[in-house]
Amino acid sequence: MKAKLTRRQMIQLSAMAGTGAVLAACGAPAAPTAAPAAEATTAPAAEPTAVPEATTAPAAEPTAAPTEAPAAAGAEVPRNRSLVLNHGGAGGQYTNQNITNPYGTGYTHQEGNALMWEPLWYYSVFADKWVPWMSIDPEPQYNAAYTELTIKLRPGMEWSDGKPITSKDVKYTLDTQKSNEKLLYHAQSKEFIKDVTAPDDMTVVVTFNSPNPRFGFEVLSYKFDTGLEIVPEHIFSQQADIVAWQGGDDIVHSGMFSTTQTAQQKIYDIREDWWGFKTDFQKKPDIQRVIMVPLSDMTTAAQRVVNNECDACLDLRPALIRSAVQQNPKITTHTGKDEPLGYIDWWPNSLWMNTQLEPYSSPDVRWAINYSIDRDTLDSVVFLGAKIASIFPYPEYPALRKYLDEARPLGDELGVRTFDLAKNEEKMTGAGFTKDADGFWVKDGNRINATINGFESIHADIVPVLVEMLRKGGFEAAINFGNDAYQNMADGKPGLYMFGHGASVVDPYATMELYDSQFSAPNGTTAGGNHFSRYKNPDFDKIVAEMRATPPGDPKLVDQFMKAIEIYWKDMIDVPIIQWLHRIPYNQTYWTNWPTADNPYLNGAYWHNTFPLLVLGLKAAEA
Amino acid sequence: MKLGYLVRRIVFLFFVIWTAATVLFFIPRMSRVNPIRERFNELARGTGYSPKDLEQIIASYELKFGLNKPLGEQYLDYLSSVLRGDLGVSLMRYPRTVAELIGQALPWTVALLGFTTVLTFLLGTLLGALAGWPKSPSWVKSTVTPLMVLAAIPAYTLGLLLIYFIAFRARLLPMAGAYTTGLFKAPEFSIPFILDLAKHAILPAFSLILASLGFWALGMRGMGVTVQGEDYVNFAEHKGLKQKRIFYAYYVRNAILPQVTSLALAFGAIVSAGILVENLYGFPGIGSLLNAAILANDYFVIYGIGFITIFAVGVSMLVVDLLYPLLDPRIRYDRKS
Repeated sequence: MKAKLTRRQMIQLSAMAGTGAVLAACGAPAAPTAAPAAEATTAPAAEPTAVPEATTAPAAEPTAAPTEAPAAAGAEVPRNRSLVLNHGGAGGQYTNQNITNPYGTGYTHQEGNALMWEPLWYYSVFADKWVPWMSIDPEPQYNAAYTELTIKLRPGMEWSDGKPITSKDVKYTLDTQKSNEKLLYHAQSKEFIKDVTAPDDMTVVVTFNSPNPRFGFEVLSYKFDTGLEIVPEHIFSQQADIVAWQGGDDIVHSGMFSTTQTAQQKIYDIREDWWGFKTDFQKKPDIQRVIMVPLSDMTTAAQRVVNNECDACLDLRPALIRSAVQQNPKITTHTGKDEPLGYIDWWPNSLWMNTQLEPYSSPDVRWAINYSIDRDTLDSVVFLGAKIASIFPYPEYPALRKYLDEARPLGDELGVRTFDLAKNEEKMTGAGFTKDADGFWVKDGNRINATINGFESIHADIVPVLVEMLRKGGFEAAINFGNDAYQNMADGKPGLYMFGHGASVVDPYATMELYDSQFSAPNGTTAGGNHFSRYKNPDFDKIVAEMRATPPGDPKLVDQFMKAIEIYWKDMIDVPIIQWLHRIPYNQTYWTNWPTADNPYLNGAYWHNTFPLLVLGLKAAEA
Repeated sequence: MKLGYLVRRIVFLFFVIWTAATVLFFIPRMSRVNPIRERFNELARGTGYSPKDLEQIIASYELKFGLNKPLGEQYLDYLSSVLRGDLGVSLMRYPRTVAELIGQALPWTVALLGFTTVLTFLLGTLLGALAGWPKSPSWVKSTVTPLMVLAAIPAYTLGLLLIYFIAFRARLLPMAGAYTTGLFKAPEFSIPFILDLAKHAILPAFSLILASLGFWALGMRGMGVTVQGEDYVNFAEHKGLKQKRIFYAYYVRNAILPQVTSLALAFGAIVSAGILVENLYGFPGIGSLLNAAILANDYFVIYGIGFITIFAVGVSMLVVDLLYPLLDPRIRYDRKS
C-alpha cells in the first residue's frame, strides 16, 4: 500500500488534526461558570444576620435544596454548593499545600485552613460580640484580680479521629506555646502564664504571673488573623519537632471541614461527622465545599470574579474594584456599589519614623510633617469623597468608638488634622531648618530624607499623593517600594515608613503598648513588628502600665487613654494617615448574605480566622 | 571521538557548574533582606500581626537554618549539600523541602515549555528555511514581516491580549490555572483531565509560540540565505538533483547548526523563559516558583532552581557538542583529521 503523502497533503492533515485537537479541548467539560443571567442586583432585603450561636433545635433541619446550577461534569459538588475564592499562593500556585499543622512555619490560616482549626471563642468585631465555640463560657471568665482564668469546655467535642476533645488538649496547647520559642504566642505565654491545670476533663484553669484581663481576648479568641487554635495532644505530642511537621491533608483536627490540597487548589469539604453537627451546636451550612484558587495577579483575579468563576477574591485596589462592580451587576461590596466600596480593617496606616534618629527625633519635625498632610485632599483624591483619612492609630470600630469620640475634641484642639504650610514653616524654622534654592528644608547643608518606604501592591494609590504633599511641605520625599522597604523599617533607616498598626480592636491598650519603651530598640539593632518608632518616654510607659492592668470596659480606661493619646499626639510619635480599607468584591451569583454595612454580622475577609462564621452565614442564591 | 576530549568536556562541565553555583550563592546574599524577617513581614503585611518577641523568633530560625554562621561557612555547607544532592528546605514554606517544591513544579514547566520550545523550533526552523529558499511561493516569504513584528512583542504582552480577548471577552478558554478547579481534586491520568489540561494550556502555549516563532524563523532564514550561494549548493543544482534533496540535504542541513545550539540553550533556559507567562496564567510551573522565591529571598529555593537550570544548560550543551559531528560532517573531534 502506498503510504506516501505529498507536502500539501501533510500540511492539510496537520491543520485538520490541530483544529480537531483545539476543538476537542474547547469542547471539554464546561468550566462551572455558567451563571444565571446577570440581572441588576437589588440588594437582598437585609435581614440582619446574627453571629452564629449554638442551635437549640433537637436536630438540624436539612437545608432546602436550591435549584442546582450546571455542575461541572465529574465534580462531586455542584457549583452552587461550592464557594470558590481566589486567594493566596504566588504566581498561580500554592507552595505551602499540605502544611496543615498550625505550628508549621510555612502554615497559614488565610488560605482556608481556618476551616480546620477552632478556638475557644470567636470575636466578631463588627457585631462587637463574643461567640463561644469550644468553650461554653459566654466570654473569658477571670477571677476578681484577673490573675486566674477558668475555662469550661463544650461537651461532646471530638477530634476528626473520633477521640474526645478534653482539657488536656487545651493544657497541652498552652504549655507548648510557653515552652517552644518558635511559636507565635510564645512571648505572651511565657510572660503571663504561671501555670495551666486541668482539674477535670471539661475544665482548664490558667494562672497568671500578674493581672491580665486581656489574655482571653488576645490569645484565646479568633478574630482577624490572630488567636490560638486548640490542637490534639495525642497527635502533636508525638512529633519530634513540632515546627518541622507538615501535618498533611489527613491531619487530626477539630474543624467543620477536611481538606485535599494540591499546588493548583485547596479543597475543603464539609465533614458530616463534625462534632458541631452531631451535638446540634450548629446547623449545616449551604456551602458543602470551599475551593481556594491561587492568585496569579490581581487583574486576573478581578476578571475571574467578574466572569463568575470565583465568588470573591483578595481585596482590590480602588480602580479594580470600581471596574469590577461596574462590569457585573451581581458584584457588590461591604458598602454595596457605593464608595468606599469596602470596610475598615484593623490596620490603620501611619507614616512612621525612627524617633531616635535626627531629625525625626524632634517632635517639631514630626509635627511639620503632619502639617504637610492634607487629609481632606486624600479623601477626595484617593477615596473619591469617602472619609478615610484619619488622625487616629485606631480603627473606628464599635467597641473603640467611645474612646475615639472622647478624644476627638482634643485632636481638634491640638490641630492634628490641620493642613497648614505656614505652621509647617514655623515648626521647621523653630527647629533650626532653612529652605534651600529648591525649596527643601536643610540644616547643616543636609536635606531631610523623606523617602516613603512602602509596598507597591497595597500602597500604590496613596503614597505618590503623600510624596507630592511632603515635597510641597519642603521635605525631599520619594518612593521606595523595593524589597528592602520592610528591612529599612526594621533597621530604623532614615526616611518614612508607611505601615499599619494591627493592634487595638476592642479597647485602646494594645495600640498604645506599641510605643512602650520596652520595645524601643537602640539604633543599630533591628526593631521588627510594629515597633518602628523606637519611642522612649517613661511618663508614657506609666500610663501604659496602668492601662495594662485595667480591664476592658472599666471606666478608668477612658481617662488613661486620654492621657496616652495626648502624649501620642503632642509628641506625634507617628503621623496617622488613613483607616485601612478592605475592598472585597462579593459575587452574589451563587452566594448571598455577604456581610455588609447594613448587615454587619462579621467582616467579610474570608482569609481571617473568622472564616467559619462567614461560611455559616452565606446562603445559596436561588439560581 | 577521543576519550580524552570527552573527559576534558566533562571536567569543563563541572567547572562551569561550580562557577555558576558559586555566583548563584553570593548574588542573593548581596541583598540586605533577611528571608526569615521577610517571612514575618509577609505575616505582618498580610495579617497586620507581629509576634511580640519577633527578634527572638527570627534568631532561633536563623540558628536552625544556619543563617547565623559566617558566609564562608554557609558557602561550604551549601556546596557540601549540593554534592550530596540535598537542596535543603524552603525558608518561607518550611518544613517543605526544595526538592519537593521543584518536583511539584517541574513537570508543568517541562510539559508546557518543553512542548512549546520543540514545536516553535520545528515550525520556526521550517518556516525560516522556506522563507529563505528562493523557490518558495511568495506567500511563504511574506510571513517574514508578521514574524518580525511578533518577535518584537514579549510573550507576556501577547498573553495579556489573548487573556483579554479570548478568555475574558469571548470566554472561549479559561483565564488562568492548569486545570479546572473543583472539577478534579488532584491531577489524574484520564481523558477528561488531559482534555481539561489541554484547554488550559492553549493560551499560555500560544503566547509562547507566537512570541518565539519569529526568533527561530528569522535565525534560520538568515543562515539559509548565507548557505544559498555556497559552492556545494550550486554544484548540487547543476548536477540536477531534486529540489527536495537540495533543500533538506544541502540547504537545511548546513544552515541548521546554529539553530541546534540555540535549541540546547533554549532547553536550559525554559525555566527563565516561562517566569512571566507562568505567572500571568497562574500556571504552577517552576518559573512562577522561582519568581515567588526571588520576591521572598527564599535562598534555598533560588539555589535549588538555579542549580537545576545550570545543570540542564551545561548538560544540554555537552550533548549538543557531542552531537555536532553527526549533524555536520565537517566537525571532527579527532585531532589527526
